[in-house]
Amino acid sequence: MNDDTRATPEAAAELEPVQSRDILPEFDLANYDDDSGVGLGLSLSFRTRLTLGLIAASVLPLAGFGLVVLIAGGTAGPTGTIGRILLFAIVTAALIGVLLAYLLAADLISPLRAIAAAVDRVSAGDLSTPIVVPGEDELARLADSHNRLAATLERRNRELGRILAAIESASPRDGAEFLAGRAATDARSAFGMIDCRILLVEPNDIPTEERIPGESLPVRAILRAGDEELGVLVGHLPATRGWERADQDLLELFASEIAVAVRNAQLFARVEAQNSQLLELDAAKDDFLRGVSHNLQTPLTSIRAYAHQLSGDRPDRRLGIIAEQSERLSRMVRQLLTVTRLESGALHPRSEVVALGSRVRRAWEALAAEGVDLTLDDASNGWLAIADGDQLDQVLWALLDNAVKYGGGAPIRVEVAAEETPRRRLRMTIADAGPGVPEADRGRLFFRFTRGQNIGGDEGSGLGLYVSRELCRAMDGDLVLEPQTGQPGAAFSVYLPGEPPDEA
Amino acid sequence: MLSGAPAGHGGDTAPRILLVDDDPNQLVILAEQLRADGYQIQTARDGDEALRRLRTAWPDLLIIDMMMPRMDGLTLAREIKGQADLPIIVLSAIDAGDSKADLLEEVAEDYVTKPYHYPELRARINRVLRRLGDKVPRQSLLLGPDLTLDLHRREATVGRNAVQLTPTESRLLYALAANLGKTVTTETLLARGWADTEDADPSYVWVTMRRLRQKVELDPNRPVHLQTVRGIGYRLVSLVPLSDE
Repeated sequence: MNDDTRATPEAAAELEPVQSRDILPEFDLANYDDDSGVGLGLSLSFRTRLTLGLIAASVLPLAGFGLVVLIAGGTAGPTGTIGRILLFAIVTAALIGVLLAYLLAADLISPLRAIAAAVDRVSAGDLSTPIVVPGEDELARLADSHNRLAATLERRNRELGRILAAIESASPRDGAEFLAGRAATDARSAFGMIDCRILLVEPNDIPTEERIPGESLPVRAILRAGDEELGVLVGHLPATRGWERADQDLLELFASEIAVAVRNAQLFARVEAQNSQLLELDAAKDDFLRGVSHNLQTPLTSIRAYAHQLSGDRPDRRLGIIAEQSERLSRMVRQLLTVTRLESGALHPRSEVVALGSRVRRAWEALAAEGVDLTLDDASNGWLAIADGDQLDQVLWALLDNAVKYGGGAPIRVEVAAEETPRRRLRMTIADAGPGVPEADRGRLFFRFTRGQNIGGDEGSGLGLYVSRELCRAMDGDLVLEPQTGQPGAAFSVYLPGEPPDEA
Repeated sequence: MLSGAPAGHGGDTAPRILLVDDDPNQLVILAEQLRADGYQIQTARDGDEALRRLRTAWPDLLIIDMMMPRMDGLTLAREIKGQADLPIIVLSAIDAGDSKADLLEEVAEDYVTKPYHYPELRARINRVLRRLGDKVPRQSLLLGPDLTLDLHRREATVGRNAVQLTPTESRLLYALAANLGKTVTTETLLARGWADTEDADPSYVWVTMRRLRQKVELDPNRPVHLQTVRGIGYRLVSLVPLSDE
């Protein structure tokens, strides 16, 4: 609404009034004398009526005065009665004067009141009620002028409302071309155009049309978003339609809003395209890794199965080594696959019940570390962890493998305990008696491709702790390195959600 | 419902298993191991051969390798399920964490991750074969106004919410639903849910049932569907009268 305050009566009178002549007669001060003498009473011009009224108000009382004096002087005696006659004449003249002044005022005031009330209505937002001032005098013209102004304001309001609705409904998902097409349709109906197109091209490529009087009126607005010119809106209005500065401003406002929407749509489309490309690449990568994993695991499964079968027929320590090493290789392949899956967010661990103690024992058997002992202190009281057994095995293998690797041959201690606070959980601490983790390494121990520097770290992928911590966290738990105490060695604690073993 | 269409494996006939794998080494050793355990084994080198074999006779169970040239295990499993509801175990390098695992579970009864230990595979075979005795429709099972089970999709609808079930949870519900309204012992549930876990004990069932109740009961403290029969086992109760079947 405020955009239209510039269309005050003065401004409206200043603006080129070419087209409006057909709709309403023009309020033109220079013209008022033309019809001043035409007709009587209400059809007289304002100035004529005012002049006549003033003349009547000054002359008619005098005439009344004279008339009374003449009549009374002719009928009454010459003496004594003159005073009364004069008094009577003065009273008559005064009455006539007051009556005429009242009539004149009433004639002038009522249309002014109507106009004042209408202006109040307009400023209160009611643009639809016109002022009715009968006749063709200046006040009637003023009323007409006001009505026209109100009609223009109302039309612009309507247009503004439509284009705002059109802009609000623009979603970047619709695509730039679709948005431009729909915006053109919206602009056509909002501004009452004959045709309207939005071309997403360099605006200079579309020449500006000359305006030919009597023919449809060409309009044009550039789609500007910031410094960028994204296209141009071109259309035609009926020859009878008024097109003023305010209308052009409104169209340009619309064009710039559409430009922003179009640019958003273009950016959105670009991001979407990149996203889908990334998703495709990601899926391709997952498929590739699945394939690699399958192609590595299948022969390893066969190797191990044959080794087991052979050792059943003819026990041989070397067959055991073949089986163990093939299993180790399988686990490393699996770990690599897990890393990529963790990073692409494609890992969704299950929540199943797991007894940590027996899980540790089985993982230890699978590792088949020779010459190292494991002591398991299970104080879980039968509590069960809520975890994904497959993923937990990976964690256990990595932690136990590390403990063997860095433990220097000393026994490995595993402790399982249930904790009620801060929430029900199980803690499993795996501790070796090796040299421990040097202060310098503690901070970056869980980073990818980090290995302890103190022991010839040529074995392992450097992914074990990183993967293990991520897996624990994915299972709603955590993996931490316990602070160094007086005892030698490193201790890692796995925390997992736990449940007491009650029948329920 | 075509499940069990071939003569069951009850009595003296050993279960018949069709192995489908493109890797000859794998095929040979697995066939040997299974035969040694008393199963009747047929083999197929690819999906087409497997489908050809199915035209003449249906096995009690299929074991299918996930990755095969031409027709992969997933496609083959879908193809087979389209013809007959035969139980399928898929061998794959995919583990439960993989996004494809869910897809696999929709068509296959179970899957075993490579590299697998033979005893684990055997436990799973037996579990799947045992479950053939449980007749649970593959459609939705409406148990009351606030509980519907879609076990083939491992999903329960509680009130208006869809709840995802873990494989173990759906296995337990499968066993309970097969005996709707009757008490199923904790030992039976343990065998159904943890056939491949050596040292599983009743607490596995207790804890899992407690968690399951949190999922499928509107008020887990006053369960209406999953009832405990103290010291014996559990019972799945339907609030919907059963049709005359």
